[in-house]
Amino acid sequence: MSIDNVLKKFEPLPENLLPILKEVQETRPEGYLTPDDLRKVAKYLHMSYARVYGVASYCSALRVVPKGMHIIQVCDSPACQLMGATTVLEELKSLLGISEGETTPDGLFTLETTSCLGVCGVAPAMVVDEDVWGNLTPDKIRQIIESYREEETR
Amino acid sequence: MSSKEMVTIHIDGKEIHAPRGASLLKVARDNGIDIPGLCYYEKVSPTGSCRLCVVKIDGRPGLVPSCMVQVEDGMKVTAFDDEIESVRRGILEMILAEHDDDCINCEKNGSCELQDLAFRYNLGRELRTLPSLLDVVPKIYDDSSPVLIYDSHKCIKCGRCIKACFEIQGKGVLSFAGKGLGEYVVAGIENWADSACDGCGECVQACPTGALVEKPVYGVRVREIDVDRKVVTTCPYCGVGCQLELWIKDDRIVKVRGYDDIPNRGSTCVKGRFGLDFVHSPDRLKYPLIKKDGKFVEVSWEEALDYVASRLSEIRDKYGPDAIAGLSSAKCTNEENFVFQKFMRAVIGTNSVDHCARLCHASTIAGLVRAFGSGAMTNSIEEFLNADVIFITGSNTTETHPVTATYIKRAVLFHNAKLIVADPRRIDLVDYATVWLQQRNGTDVALFNGLMHVIWKEGLMDEEFIRSRTEGFDEFIKVIEKFTPEKTEEITDVPKEKIIEAARLYGSAERASIVYAMGITQHVTGTDNVLSLANMALLTGNVGRESTGVNPLRGQNNVQGACDLGALPNVFPGYQKVTDPNARRKFEEAWGVKLPEEPGLTVVEMMYAATQGKVKAMYFMGENPVISDPNIPHVKEALEVVEFLVVQDIFLTETAQYADVVLPAASFAEKNGTYTNTERRVLWVQKAIDPPGEAKPDWVIVQDVARKMGYDMGYSSVKDIIDEINRLVPIYAGITYERIRNGEKLQWPCPSPEHPGTKYLYKDRFNRPNGLGKFHPVDFIPPAEWPDEEYPFLLSTGRILYHFHTTSMTRRTQALPQYVEGPYMEMHPDDMKKLGIEDGEVVRVVSRRGEIKIKAIASGRVYSGSVFIPFHFAEAAANMLTNDALDPISKIPELKVAAVRIEKIE
Amino acid sequence: MSSRRYVLLGVADDGVFSRLKAEIEGLPNVEVIRGLSIGDFDGVSLAVFPTGVRYSGVPVSEVPTIVKKHLEGDKTVDQRFDGSVLPSTILPSRQKRIVLERVGVIDPESIDEYIESGGYEALKKALNEMSPADVIEEVKASGLRGRGGAGFPTGLKWEFTAKSEGKMRFVIANADESEPGTFKDRVIEEGDPHRLIEGVLIAGYAVGASQGYIFVRGEHSLAIERLKKAIADAKERSFIGENILDTGFSFDIRLVPSAGGYICGEETALIEALEGKRGQPRPKPPYPPQKGLWNQPTLVNNVETLANVPSIIMKGANWYRSFGTESSPGTKVYSVLGNTVHTGLFEAPMGITLRELVFDYGGGLKDGEFRAALVGGAAGGFIADLDTKLDFEGVKEKGGMLGSGAVLVLSDKADAIGVLLSIARFFKRESCGKCVPCRVGTQIITDIMTRVYNGNCTRKDLDVMLDIAYNMKLTSFCPLGQSVHLPVKTALEIFRADFESRCGD
Ligand SMILES: Nc1nc2c(c(=O)[nH]1)N[C@H]1C(S)=C(S)[C@@H](COP(=O)(O)OP(=O)(O)OC[C@H]3O[C@@H](n4cnc5c(=O)[nH]c(N)nc54)[C@H](O)[C@@H]3O)O[C@H]1N2
Ligand SMILES: Nc1nc2c(c(=O)[nH]1)N[C@H]1C(S)=C(S)[C@@H](COP(=O)(O)OP(=O)(O)OC[C@H]3O[C@@H](n4cnc5c(=O)[nH]c(N)nc54)[C@H](O)[C@@H]3O)O[C@H]1N2
Ligand SMILES: Cc1cc2nc3c(=O)[nH]c(=O)nc-3n(C[C@H](O)[C@H](O)[C@H](O)COP(=O)(O)O)c2cc1C
Ligand code: SF4
Ligand code: SF4
Ligand code: SF4
Ligand code: SF4
Ligand code: SF4
Ligand code: FES
Ligand code: FES
Ligand SMILES: [Mo]
Repeated sequence: MSIDNVLKKFEPLPENLLPILKEVQETRPEGYLTPDDLRKVAKYLHMSYARVYGVASYCSALRVVPKGMHIIQVCDSPACQLMGATTVLEELKSLLGISEGETTPDGLFTLETTSCLGVCGVAPAMVVDEDVWGNLTPDKIRQIIESYREEETR
Repeated sequence: MSSKEMVTIHIDGKEIHAPRGASLLKVARDNGIDIPGLCYYEKVSPTGSCRLCVVKIDGRPGLVPSCMVQVEDGMKVTAFDDEIESVRRGILEMILAEHDDDCINCEKNGSCELQDLAFRYNLGRELRTLPSLLDVVPKIYDDSSPVLIYDSHKCIKCGRCIKACFEIQGKGVLSFAGKGLGEYVVAGIENWADSACDGCGECVQACPTGALVEKPVYGVRVREIDVDRKVVTTCPYCGVGCQLELWIKDDRIVKVRGYDDIPNRGSTCVKGRFGLDFVHSPDRLKYPLIKKDGKFVEVSWEEALDYVASRLSEIRDKYGPDAIAGLSSAKCTNEENFVFQKFMRAVIGTNSVDHCARLCHASTIAGLVRAFGSGAMTNSIEEFLNADVIFITGSNTTETHPVTATYIKRAVLFHNAKLIVADPRRIDLVDYATVWLQQRNGTDVALFNGLMHVIWKEGLMDEEFIRSRTEGFDEFIKVIEKFTPEKTEEITDVPKEKIIEAARLYGSAERASIVYAMGITQHVTGTDNVLSLANMALLTGNVGRESTGVNPLRGQNNVQGACDLGALPNVFPGYQKVTDPNARRKFEEAWGVKLPEEPGLTVVEMMYAATQGKVKAMYFMGENPVISDPNIPHVKEALEVVEFLVVQDIFLTETAQYADVVLPAASFAEKNGTYTNTERRVLWVQKAIDPPGEAKPDWVIVQDVARKMGYDMGYSSVKDIIDEINRLVPIYAGITYERIRNGEKLQWPCPSPEHPGTKYLYKDRFNRPNGLGKFHPVDFIPPAEWPDEEYPFLLSTGRILYHFHTTSMTRRTQALPQYVEGPYMEMHPDDMKKLGIEDGEVVRVVSRRGEIKIKAIASGRVYSGSVFIPFHFAEAAANMLTNDALDPISKIPELKVAAVRIEKIE
Repeated sequence: MSSRRYVLLGVADDGVFSRLKAEIEGLPNVEVIRGLSIGDFDGVSLAVFPTGVRYSGVPVSEVPTIVKKHLEGDKTVDQRFDGSVLPSTILPSRQKRIVLERVGVIDPESIDEYIESGGYEALKKALNEMSPADVIEEVKASGLRGRGGAGFPTGLKWEFTAKSEGKMRFVIANADESEPGTFKDRVIEEGDPHRLIEGVLIAGYAVGASQGYIFVRGEHSLAIERLKKAIADAKERSFIGENILDTGFSFDIRLVPSAGGYICGEETALIEALEGKRGQPRPKPPYPPQKGLWNQPTLVNNVETLANVPSIIMKGANWYRSFGTESSPGTKVYSVLGNTVHTGLFEAPMGITLRELVFDYGGGLKDGEFRAALVGGAAGGFIADLDTKLDFEGVKEKGGMLGSGAVLVLSDKADAIGVLLSIARFFKRESCGKCVPCRVGTQIITDIMTRVYNGNCTRKDLDVMLDIAYNMKLTSFCPLGQSVHLPVKTALEIFRADFESRCGD
């Protein structure tokens, strides 16, 4: 769906800024809001560019720079920490060969940490794109990553 | 405004009286208790982000930021104790941890609020316990703006810039981006250049650190401590009259700050702050020039003055005084205008002295004098803040009176005012408007009559006011009757619903203020347009009170003063008619000569008189008619045929090229005097530096010419001239040199040295002989030239923010051409598609007078069928095309409507 | 002994529910409860009680096997047993359930089931039999306190909002739930969305609002889906909209998913975000009941708070006060996490002790002895005293904060330093950046904690950390920065020795 079609769904009211940005981002295969997207949204809402950029760069669910195809966010909050989040992160780092905040050279994965995902009952946990994975063990992590890789090669 | 209730509070045991609701931090500081704080900025709402200003208040738990606290009676405050001070020191250290305190190479060194506090709290590097965090603070160094530089490693995220841009300038260009320690200030999406920033510099002025600094547009990087002196003076560009502080080093302007006083309270636009380097342009005229064998050669003043005096005397003696005509200057001071018109009248013996006001507000004077008695802004700029409704028509205020526009925007944004914009173009203020009436150019009388029709039909007029303070209502209302919303829509193209909405808004406002400018005046019906607006104010009783009125925004820095001081062919200084024998007698006595009785020639008339051989010599002081007058081909012809032309300017302008003698004048920075701004306020112009070469103040030059012609005016200083003005001009009688130099910023009428000046006019009576305001029945008359088959497009002309008139000054600056470099034409995308014109393509524009080639830009600001060309640029001068048809009463040309054809260049 | 058996089905379904229903047809004493948080994140999970054996990744095709072997034959199906045995406290019958009353019991996507089980009766009662002031009185009398963390008396807040001058009033359900260890609101939204809606409606009626918002954490996609459907269904039945149930009361509810950020759960930051701005806190005062959304009087309440309201209206303040303690009446949804045998959510009366929560509900420690618990999420404090009463006052007395009711249990083998490091990183990541102490302080504390964790800190570092945290408490703009001190201080008190053992000096 083009950005214009997304805009059409919303009245040009300031309170629609966040929903619009989220939806535009969802239509972007690269998963981020390009400068042109942001400009269009700003014009549509009669807002300053800075305000739109300010919001987009503030919210953790919005992205203004390109990222990998899949974004892995490892929970880095107390419950997961206690249950082994550090191991999870280390496992992912060695598996992907990148450090926190980086993207794999093939552009497939970006590795990040995040605050509590609210699934602490199955700590340690991580989220890949929208899918939440809990009770993580090194084995399980390998399987999960493998499944995403396979999906990509298909 | 009601006086604030006073309360008593105690800070560290000291008893303090302050208005209830004032910021505790400000109250403390005003009373010598220097609570630290970096994010507080008096002109904007408190942010409370730096937390340095924390204090203890009895009865409240913990520490409270004093900037966020409003004082209440009985408050007991501890501003200083060991605990608070140690907390503050801790916070300050945190700020320093995210700061790159490379003061040694920082423009703020010596005037930095952060540096001052670091010193005060003894936080030298070796005394800090926190390590630097700079490696995790994003480094954004944005120098993409033509006028400023942002450095995130110097930014303390106080937000003052963001609030200054929004709350003072009403723009809201800036925001924070990022989060946490990654927060920084952004303007555009990619950088500053990618934003709506127009370079006013309010944010720079608000920044407490070196995070936002001016680019060295004046040639050198300087710190405040490097500056030799600071000179407060008045901006030489537009009629707002901003007070500026020029920072001078080595006799050059090196930086400009807005000075915190009426009328601008520290604000400026981009021209006033970043556009004064023309003063130091190598192109400045430094020596008198005489054209010998078609070429200018530098000559001595002696030779030049002798030559001018003898040629003028010769021509006067041969053809009579009316063979000489002069253009005075709205760029020059009051004193210079007074001297120039005195020269023309008393020395040459003609009333043929005029100036650019003719092209500008001649119709205002004609109209408002008829309706109210005086031809000036009825109210003051700051009063816009408290208006309920502001009706703006034919004024692109944000671009042409930018600082006045800040008051209007603030009224809308923060004081609940409603804005009605009636303008054929989608100007920036439309974004702030409740209603936008997009009328066809030249249909204003119909539109206003239509509005008044609704006001009248709906009983929204002020009958008591009409009865007690006006005359002529009955004849007037007859004309209004036929302007039903339907009929008005037909003429103006404005939907009738909008007409009704706007009429109700204006008609039911308690305080409604009309603002207008060239979109109203520059028509063959200019006087009618003005009268019609005056009718609207009279009908609703919106005149003679605060925050109401009819407010023509005067354009040039001193066009108000040039008019006031008689640079007009029909009046002596102070609007005393040349045809009035009593007035004449008074001036004859004062000047010791016989004065001409008949009104002289106006600007456009002079040019025709020249081509008709009636005018043989001309003396232009500070005007550039070859670009600014309508129908340039004809102007050039006139200048070619006159026998003798003197041009006195600061640059060798397009007009000066035609001169026989060019006299080098001192610029505003190089002389003393006064300007009268658009709100009738007399403002001091302070000499800051010496003129280049042998250039001299205009009044000195003119007095010298007079002396050579045998008339000694006897002035040895500006004060002498002001004294004479006080004696001869009743409205200026009380605006004495002493008062001006004491910092008083008086508004005329000010009839005596004790008089406080007049904030708004006509409080109790109008200035007409019977004291009543007069309704005038005005009917709609179409413009002199409408689009037709041959010339299908309507051309309108005007200005843009970044350039001034003929650009003699603005193109000689470093910064301004970076915003807009040269000529262009705004054209509706639909029309471009129809004609197969690409965005940015150069096309030929042809009118009955001439043609130009110009770049067409697709723009949603103009409606389909119309085009807009800024008249600034000589290489594609709009006035090659404009119509010099005149308003019969005021003789203003129709610069806002002409018919043109647009051709693709194959 | 009753041989009643339950099958608890997790949030995922994939057709398992209907298959289960079909398979148990005719089996006596078996009940299926679905949509419950049973700690399932690998496909469809279900747990069979009384044993509490949990199966993960169950495909529809294996449902008959499980029913046959486990429910009819009482044998664990090894292939799908994921090793977890859930506590019986997870069973609704073992808790005191008010807000979770229907969670897992009804189909959350069926408004009919909600209505059949007494839903929207409270709304009807309020609209038909009570004035707005009556409603406020009842809520005041119930002693209900805000479950968003601060425990502010809800009835009072409603009263302030109702009495504020404004052109329009708003109600916002704060469903941004991002406090670490907290997911009670999500479970309500997923398991009983109409209860929240009913609470919002009653609140709207009471304060004189006409527009409601549910600001829900964007990551909670299932909750968003269910709330969306619930709102649409409620609109269709005229519980939301113009002239609701012909009573003349009109009220609209909009669902707004957040775009991420813990601070956006702070009420004024939430309001900024709703207005399409950067979600950074506003200065207080003015408080939202005075000037909130679009500067109009606005009631912001937590989801759990609002979810209590229908029961209070139906059963009365006195009934409500029969649970919990004098100063904190009612129940609380606690989460037990960390080194306990069982982890999850439990609704129990306010004021149970930490010991009860850890041992009765959490099943005791998995490995090692109890050392301390982090009570109240990242913004809470470490508490070592098992006799601490878990209500607002009880936790406060022990120098902590009940907060959202999240309890992270640490055994004596747990890495408390790692936990504090993750708390520091949490605050650093979530600091909005507006004020100096928090923006800079969170980074400094994180840096020091990283050194502690890596064993290359000094004792001075620990002092600096505590100083900074204290400064943040005194001077931060909003509670986020102010609350960092509590975990730091209590950690240093309880685990001082662990910290010092990491210091080089
Ligand atoms: N930057 C800058 N500022 C200036 C100047 C400058 O050159 N540059 N010049 C100064 C001077 S001397 C002057 S006089 C002022 C002029 O200031 P303004 O009058 O504000 O400037 P203009 O651009 O001439 O035209 C004003 C508006 O009139 C509208 N207009 C055009 N035709 C019509 C019409 O038929 N009816 C109505 N109602 N509106 C119409 C235009 O769309 C435009 O918005 O600016 C002063 N300030
Ligand atoms: N098409 C079209 N034409 C227009 C207009 C329009 O809207 N459309 N607007 C008209 C209006 S409103 C106006 S006011 C005129 C303006 O027309 P002008 O007044 O001719 O324009 P400026 O460029 O301001 O000319 C002022 C001259 O004074 C010089 N100068 C500056 N300071 C000093 C000084 O201290 N001493 C001396 N001696 N000279 C100095 C400058 O170098 C410049 O050459 O243009 C008019 N022409
Ligand atoms: C950093 C921060 C995050 C918060 N997050 C939430 C939240 O996710 N949900 C919530 O209900 N309250 C949250 N709060 C508390 C709210 O500001 C507010 O007090 C609460 O929503 C009021 O509801 P209550 O009175 O029902 O508790 C947060 C507060 C802070 C300071
Ligand atoms: S901003 Fe101030 S403290 Fe920072 S380097 Fe510049 S002068 Fe020094
Ligand atoms: S220069 Fe003026 S317009 Fe530009 S950002 Fe600064 S304050 Fe705003
Ligand atoms: S640029 Fe200056 S004014 Fe703006 S936030 Fe940074 S330090 Fe403050
Ligand atoms: S608004 Fe006018 S007077 Fe003020 S700085 Fe700009 S040009 Fe100068
Ligand atoms: S304490 Fe300050 S920086 Fe931290 S979240 Fe609150 S306002 Fe933002
Ligand atoms: S702490 Fe990781 S999901 Fe809550
Ligand atoms: S000056 Fe008060 S918080 Fe900055
Ligand atoms: Mo002008």
